[in-house]
Amino acid sequence: MHGGETPRPPFDGPVRHVYVHVPFCRARCDYCAFASVAVGGGGSATDVPRLFDAYVEGVAAEWERERAAHDVRRLRTLYLGGGTPSLLGPDRLERLLTVFRPHLTPQAEVTVEVNPEDAGTEFAAWAAGARRSPGSGALRGVRISLGVQSFLPELRAALGRTAQADPRAAFDRLRAAGVASIGLDLIHGIPGQTPELLAGDIATVLDLRPDHVSWYELDVSEGTALARRLARAEGTAGGGRRAAPVAALADDVRAAGYRRLVRALSRAGYDWYEVSNFARPGHKARHNLACWRARPYLGLGPGAVSTVGARRWTNSADPRAWAAALAAGRRPTRSVEELDDATRARERLLLAARCGEPVPLEAVSAVVDPDALAASAGAGLVSVRGGTLRVTRKGRHVADGLCVRLFRAPRLRG
Amino acid sequence: MAVVTPLDHIRNFSIIAHIDHGKSTLADRILERTGTVAPRDMKEQLLDKMDLERERGITIKSQAVRIAYAARDGQTYQLNLIDTPGHVDFTYEVSRSLAACEGAVLLVDATQGVEAQTVANAYLAVDNDLEIIPVLNKIDLPASDVPEAEMELHELTGATHDEILTISAKTGEGVDEVLEAVVQRTPPPEGDPTAPPRALIFDSEYDQYRGVIAYVRVVDGHFDRRQLVTLMSTGQGAEIEELGSFGPGMTPAERLETGEVGYIITGVKDVAQVRVGDTITDRRRPAGEALPGYKVVHPMVFTGLFPTEGDKFEELRDALEKLKLNDAALLYEPESSVALGFGFRCGFLGLLHMDIVRERLEREYGLELITTMPNVEYHAHLTGGGMAVVRNPAQMPEANSIERVEEPYVTASILVPSQFVGTIMELCQGRRADFVDMKYLSPERVEMHYRLPLAEIVLDFFDQLKTRTRGYASLDYDYSGYRASDLVKLDVLLAGEPVDALSLIIPRESAHQRGKALVTKLRQKIPRQLFEVPVQAAIGNKVVARETVKAVRKDVTAKCYGGDISRKRKLLEKQKEGKKRMKQLGVVEVPQEAFLAVLELEPGAKGR
Ligand SMILES: Nc1nc2c(ncn2[C@@H]2O[C@H](COP(=O)(O)OP(=O)(O)O)[C@@H](O)[C@H]2O)c(=O)[nH]1
Ligand code: SF4
Ligand SMILES: [Mg+2]
Repeated sequence: MHGGETPRPPFDGPVRHVYVHVPFCRARCDYCAFASVAVGGGGSATDVPRLFDAYVEGVAAEWERERAAHDVRRLRTLYLGGGTPSLLGPDRLERLLTVFRPHLTPQAEVTVEVNPEDAGTEFAAWAAGARRSPGSGALRGVRISLGVQSFLPELRAALGRTAQADPRAAFDRLRAAGVASIGLDLIHGIPGQTPELLAGDIATVLDLRPDHVSWYELDVSEGTALARRLARAEGTAGGGRRAAPVAALADDVRAAGYRRLVRALSRAGYDWYEVSNFARPGHKARHNLACWRARPYLGLGPGAVSTVGARRWTNSADPRAWAAALAAGRRPTRSVEELDDATRARERLLLAARCGEPVPLEAVSAVVDPDALAASAGAGLVSVRGGTLRVTRKGRHVADGLCVRLFRAPRLRG
Repeated sequence: MAVVTPLDHIRNFSIIAHIDHGKSTLADRILERTGTVAPRDMKEQLLDKMDLERERGITIKSQAVRIAYAARDGQTYQLNLIDTPGHVDFTYEVSRSLAACEGAVLLVDATQGVEAQTVANAYLAVDNDLEIIPVLNKIDLPASDVPEAEMELHELTGATHDEILTISAKTGEGVDEVLEAVVQRTPPPEGDPTAPPRALIFDSEYDQYRGVIAYVRVVDGHFDRRQLVTLMSTGQGAEIEELGSFGPGMTPAERLETGEVGYIITGVKDVAQVRVGDTITDRRRPAGEALPGYKVVHPMVFTGLFPTEGDKFEELRDALEKLKLNDAALLYEPESSVALGFGFRCGFLGLLHMDIVRERLEREYGLELITTMPNVEYHAHLTGGGMAVVRNPAQMPEANSIERVEEPYVTASILVPSQFVGTIMELCQGRRADFVDMKYLSPERVEMHYRLPLAEIVLDFFDQLKTRTRGYASLDYDYSGYRASDLVKLDVLLAGEPVDALSLIIPRESAHQRGKALVTKLRQKIPRQLFEVPVQAAIGNKVVARETVKAVRKDVTAKCYGGDISRKRKLLEKQKEGKKRMKQLGVVEVPQEAFLAVLELEPGAKGR
């Protein structure tokens, strides 16, 4: 294990993970709080191709800058997230990948987030063989994360997802093309999602047997269209000319749904390896695991976040300004946060709590209240053995409250 | 200044009254009409010095003032008006103040009639051989019923119609007659100017620059500046640095003569050395005997005071130290509680005294406090012999080592309109009270006597009395010693761990009901925890009530990638910050509000 070795401070060491943020979507979903701009039908409007091209150039330029600025080694993981990366289309995605290909380890995990409406046969074929470079021998495709949200159109509609493509068909096409690792992205706790409807989504997932499942509870962020709609629903208890919007689910209904899907997926052989993530053996998302293990990573693209050592920075979210800066040879604007040792240790703990990763006690002892630790261990929320702390599955259900409890009181901080 | 008032031109008197019957207002009128205070210096209720007193309309400390009064007989008299505290908690102080007088104006609100403290004070005055001048006040009010109130006063004091004055302290009507009556009816002081000097301390006050100021009545001989004196109860010696009278401010003089009221400042810094009731005498020519009636008062009601913020302990200690300078009866000793941290177990003369101290700590010292349920001092007689004095329920010895527990009893006198007699009997029945006797003051008003545990009064007897009689009943009580009772210690357990601050000593028969109320309230006020928490009330090992705080089912946000991490961490840090006011009890986090709610459930813990 880590016997005798000094634990490496969180986010320290050479960079081996890169996240690329693709900040474009066809239309904004009602619940979306991501850095993303709506570009309509995708590729058809006159300045959109130029925007996309400028974006790809920008990523390449930013990568060169950042690679020079940090101790970057061969990448173990590369993640293209969004937004909607698939909106770029196979050609531009291929161009993007070309930028990184020389810097990947042979076993590197490359993930691309895809929306069902973009997962046509052409895309599927690219995804299945995208990593085939001339003379490289191994035929390894990318890992796909398919944005399903729900298999039921009415629940997608409740989220304001307007595209009509059938996620099941998209999944089948990807599988048929030979994509070796497919993950599904789902949401639970959607207004109107009764326990029966949730059971339907669970059954479909188990039926499809994806390699990976990310199943998030709906987070209604302030300022989103959904938040406004739910606020209205609270105000109008029936009546009115317009159909009354569907109200939010009660907390305990959502909590029960969560327990239910955790149980169902676990029983079906999925490893519940993070609060919202499940994987069949060998299919954990290594990129995200690296993040939860507090490894350093670079984020490229508008709105992307990087954390290296004691510094975390966030690119400004405006794609045009970001691209213009890079085209002019300047670094895009970013906001920077310095992380002191205690802050990093707290993050280490809060991330580890989410996925049950073992943490050497000495790495977090400065920020953990020993009494709270003992009490939590007594209650079976954490286990402490051989100088290692691990949050149990029971503790994972209350990981946030547990961290609050474990953190040393601010006043007593050194 | 050097003019000596002959003894027969001195009158020392006080005004005694039930609260709100107009004592302070009458004092103000007197000061005004005698020109003691220029009208422009006249503040409402001048004698009530502390803000708190003025606000609450009660007198906490006695005050005194010297008045020059030109009487109708053409002579000018020196009147010394001694104000007395108006509450049962301070009965001893009242009795000492009265001991410094020869006469007392017994003031009764004609709209209310005689009340419990009127009676108690009248008896105190009689005990001190004072001439009582009965006065009916507030006759300007249409609601006043002079004939009825007169009958009650007659019943109480034996005074005839002609002897009872009727006034309005508000308009001033009849106030001159009060002054005349003081001069004509109050006997002059009787001391011996040539005997070894003796002065009665009827109050003392601490001044941060000058030390203790003793309020005195010179009984025999005289005192001079620079005189060497002795405090007779302790033998403590001192030199008089300054003395004088109150005009109303302190007015220095060279000498205090026989019969005069004034102040004496020595270098003594500790009020406990200059106790109310003690006698000052000359060191070289000491009196053979101290003045009668000296006793050290003991606190009767105890409570734990804890700062809501743990790091305010030192501040609390400093504040208590300062209050103690001026309050010899206040007792405090450090106490630590698992539940509430570091604080003090404090002893008070009664609930009002407690409220006053707490309020001053909060107001004058800016401290936020948690007060545990007040309790009395129990005497646990042990099977192996010996006795444990229990001022904090958590200190009660193990049940099997106790032979019997005794608690303090009081004799309560309750005055009510006669239609409430049944109500009172009913209330007293539920309060472990023994009926003593009952007497009609008039066909409409009854004085009832009961003997009951002080603990019942500390709990909520007074509030209940007021509620059930729509405010018409009044209460006064006197301590009457210790008696054995069937008492048990009720503990509250959270996740199996006793919460020391919530332990109670209560009669066995009410254990179940009180236990149930406590755990129910706690369960409601403790938020869901990360795991299930049983809340129990128990006597020893026997659980008498139980509830469960449910576990949180889910407390984790769904997503945490990249930029979410900072947001998430800050949120958790903020939540931690927000938990500063949570108390950690073993594995359970209890918000302070939960303690407050439970403590409030105990009605005696609230001020009145
Ligand atoms: N109408 C009327 N009100 C009075 C009279 N004397 C006192 N009060 C009012 O009764 C209340 C209590 O008076 P206070 O002097 O504070 O009573 P204390 O508690 O005995 O000192 C105050 O609101 C006074 O203004 C009076 O003669 N007539
Ligand atoms: S596809 Fe994803 S990033 Fe785009 S608007 Fe919808 S939720 Fe937001
Ligand atoms: Mg008053």
